[in-house]
Amino acid sequence: MNRLVLVSALFCCAVAQAQVSPVVAQIQTMLAKPATLCGHFDQTKNLAGMKKPLLSNGRFCVINGKGVLWRTLQPFPSTLRLTRDEIVNFQGDRVAMRLDASKEPTVRMINSVLFSLLSGDLSQLDTVFVVDGKVTGSSWHVGLNARAPGLAKAIGVISLDGAAYVNTIHMDEASGDKTTIQFSAIQTGEAALQPADAALFR
Amino acid sequence: MNNRLASLWLIVVALLLGHQVYLWRGLHITPDTDIMALLPVQQRDPVLQMSFTHMVDAAQQRVIVLVGAADWEDAKRAADAYTRVLAAQPAVLVTATLNEQTQQDWLALFQQHRLILITAAQQQQLQNESETFWTDAALRQLYSPFSGPKLGAWRDDPFGLFAGWVQERAQETPVRPRDGYLSVSDAQFQYVLLSLTVHDSVFGMGTQNQVTTLLDQARTEALKAVPKADLITAGVVLHAAAAGQQASGEIWTIGFGSLLGIILLTWLTFHALKPTALILLSISIGCLGALSICWLLFGHIHLLTLVFGASLIGVAQDYGIFFLAHRLHADPKLGSADLLQRLLPSLTLTLVAAVIGYMGLAFTPFPGLRNMAVFSAIGLIFAWLTVLCWFPKLVGPGTVRSGNLVRWYDRLLQRWPRWRNNRTGWLALLLLLGVTVTFISQLRSNDDIRLLQNSPPKLIADQIRLSRLLDAPTPVQFFLVRAESEQQLLEREEALKRHLEPLIDQKKISGYQAVSNWVPSAHAQQLRIALVQQKLLGGALTGLAKQIDADPDWLKDARAHLQQSGSILIVEQFLASPASEPWRHLWLGKTVDGYASIVALRGLGQHDLDAVRQAGDGQPGVQWVDKVAEISGVLGQYRHYMGWVVLCSTLVIAALLSLRYGRATWRVLLPTVLASLLTLALLGLTQQPVQLFHVLAFMLLLGIGVDYGIFMQESGGSNVAPAWLATGLSAANTLLSFGLLALSQTPALRAFGMTMLSGITLVWFIVPFFRKEHQHGNN
Repeated sequence: MNRLVLVSALFCCAVAQAQVSPVVAQIQTMLAKPATLCGHFDQTKNLAGMKKPLLSNGRFCVINGKGVLWRTLQPFPSTLRLTRDEIVNFQGDRVAMRLDASKEPTVRMINSVLFSLLSGDLSQLDTVFVVDGKVTGSSWHVGLNARAPGLAKAIGVISLDGAAYVNTIHMDEASGDKTTIQFSAIQTGEAALQPADAALFR
Repeated sequence: MNNRLASLWLIVVALLLGHQVYLWRGLHITPDTDIMALLPVQQRDPVLQMSFTHMVDAAQQRVIVLVGAADWEDAKRAADAYTRVLAAQPAVLVTATLNEQTQQDWLALFQQHRLILITAAQQQQLQNESETFWTDAALRQLYSPFSGPKLGAWRDDPFGLFAGWVQERAQETPVRPRDGYLSVSDAQFQYVLLSLTVHDSVFGMGTQNQVTTLLDQARTEALKAVPKADLITAGVVLHAAAAGQQASGEIWTIGFGSLLGIILLTWLTFHALKPTALILLSISIGCLGALSICWLLFGHIHLLTLVFGASLIGVAQDYGIFFLAHRLHADPKLGSADLLQRLLPSLTLTLVAAVIGYMGLAFTPFPGLRNMAVFSAIGLIFAWLTVLCWFPKLVGPGTVRSGNLVRWYDRLLQRWPRWRNNRTGWLALLLLLGVTVTFISQLRSNDDIRLLQNSPPKLIADQIRLSRLLDAPTPVQFFLVRAESEQQLLEREEALKRHLEPLIDQKKISGYQAVSNWVPSAHAQQLRIALVQQKLLGGALTGLAKQIDADPDWLKDARAHLQQSGSILIVEQFLASPASEPWRHLWLGKTVDGYASIVALRGLGQHDLDAVRQAGDGQPGVQWVDKVAEISGVLGQYRHYMGWVVLCSTLVIAALLSLRYGRATWRVLLPTVLASLLTLALLGLTQQPVQLFHVLAFMLLLGIGVDYGIFMQESGGSNVAPAWLATGLSAANTLLSFGLLALSQTPALRAFGMTMLSGITLVWFIVPFFRKEHQHGNN
């Protein structure tokens, strides 16, 4: 998690906001953009110097105006909650890490970028990344290249695939580490929130 | 004889003018403004001076502007409008720009040493926690979402130690680069931070005007671009400009008023304007003479000397006035030269009394006071000589004419009661003394330099908001650390920081800045490498490989890869890297007798100074530096010494006067002493803390008051009128010039003015009570 903070600290030097391309505008209309969105994720990591991929899975929720909840269930239970004012990592009931926006100003930016990534809000991502999109029938593919050279060097290339929702996030780092996150069983509306999810946002 | 004297003096004055032109035009002399230069030489410490230079001088030239809006895009737009205005005049303000290369490179150096760069908390954990704890920690990192973007590959920092260290470093300031701008934010606004450097000295009036005009224009443009923008501006130049504006405003109101008053009064008294010009002439020659001689003797002059010295020369007007008042009342047939001959004893006595009085300043250990003593004494002598050499030539019997005002004022004295040596007299005196002592006992003193500050509330409010937002350390209060070697210095910094740690928990400070935050001492680095080798590169890494089912080659590679980045980091490398730019001022490096550095404190509250200072107590090489307290201390010492000088001068003058007046000496001195005591009582009554500027006014009051006593005492039997007129005229002029300063908004001048206002009025009022007895019968 610490790394995220650092990377946002490197968010810099982006050129002035570019015009939103027609493809991006088209993708925007394809997205459902519900107020509440929950689902299941499967994460696959391929690390530099390691042959076997590392697998994990869990639940996630994106709640408009509140923040993002990321609950890894397998192989190690761990919950991450991102809100406007803080980022908290729970190990069970214990708070393993808490980052306060008043101490670390980039907290708000991280939240905003993650929210945009998970909800596919391309117009927001456009301020940080060069967005390159392609539409095929009812689905779309988008490549994200960080505008800031420092950031681009740190995170490499991110790509998103989706239709009404984001289906896959793929991160290809300069260091050789690769991560793919697959989303499934997506639910929307108030009912999507499980009691355990809701409890974390009270 | 008289002609020769006058010509001789003309030559001296011509030489003087030549020297002045040489000083200002040729040498371009400027008065010292560093208040530390007023301290005795042996009390000055070169390393301490150097630390001030590092901390204060750069800060002094800087103007920080925050341009904010609720929306970041708006903030950027407003900031762009702001900087466009500044860019048009790069000769006035230089805007710092973000270097993209620096942004990218700043981690490069640290990445080469990442194995040893860990936080104190992590070090503690390394000592206490088991290998399993670290395996779990690494796994958590590995499986946590979006650990993708990071400072290199996962295997570079599997336990997240280096990332933790960099994050701790990043938190030394809330300022972040963002879209090519520097940014800080609070719950309400997002700000673009602009760091501007004033090109010329911020104490030049011209520069101040240019800077404030330009900043105002920029502000207008920013608000035009984004009407709801919030702008916060702070910088020494703004305070200096505000003070300058106020002073020049007061020069026009108070200065003009007092000049007008003096001219009017002189006209009504003498029915001529020439006397004003003559008195000004004598004082001016006094000031110039003092400056020239002081420069020849000392080779420099302090601003404080100039200001105070020039005011002490205010006494010099008495010589001219005394002569003119007698000219007015004297028989027109009596020549001016003969008149002067007759007045010479009184004039000489007043001069000697004042010069001896001020010489007391020369016996203090402070260079500033010695400077002042010489300045005042020389100034008085020059003014006195001007009266002696030139006034008989310039003032004839017809120069001045009496009028209604003088006649009315003369009659005033005839009805003035006299203090008599009887029961009523003593009762009145005792009552007065009783009241005086009561209020004097309530006197307090306060030398805090901040009492003298008088910046507009808006400036102070902006300053407070800015320092909250930036959480920057104060440049005037910090720890100075010294050692014999670089390594010892880093170790001493580390020891001090361990004592500061509890203060962060108690919220007395929010953090500290030090070079050892970035470059730990070699000893600390070795300790860390040993810990990492023992806890992480052995068991924890093996456990991790097992958990993620990695093959043996991976483990070997990973270990070798990590060990590559375990070489020792030294200060020199750090200082050479772009990452050290914001911190270089903390490192004084090699000094005359070793090495020195600064540990700066963030979020230091003024209530907690004592607790923070004590954190450095008893630690070798650590010194608490507080420039505010230091300056206040200098002012306090000056107040203290000057107070004694006033007291001793009074005694010396009393002894001197007794040579001439014998048992009647009390008549000369008592009015001044009473007026001083009553003024002190007034300060006690109004709860005004006594400070240097009050004491300084008492010094001047002594000089002037004694003159009045001598005038009244010297005017032999038949006619006391000229002395009474000289006293009244001098007092009225003093009130108009120094007394009107009581209206000033500048606290130091107000203190000085109030004291003069009350003191001179009282001396003037009290003097006739103690005039000689037998004259009454003659009238």
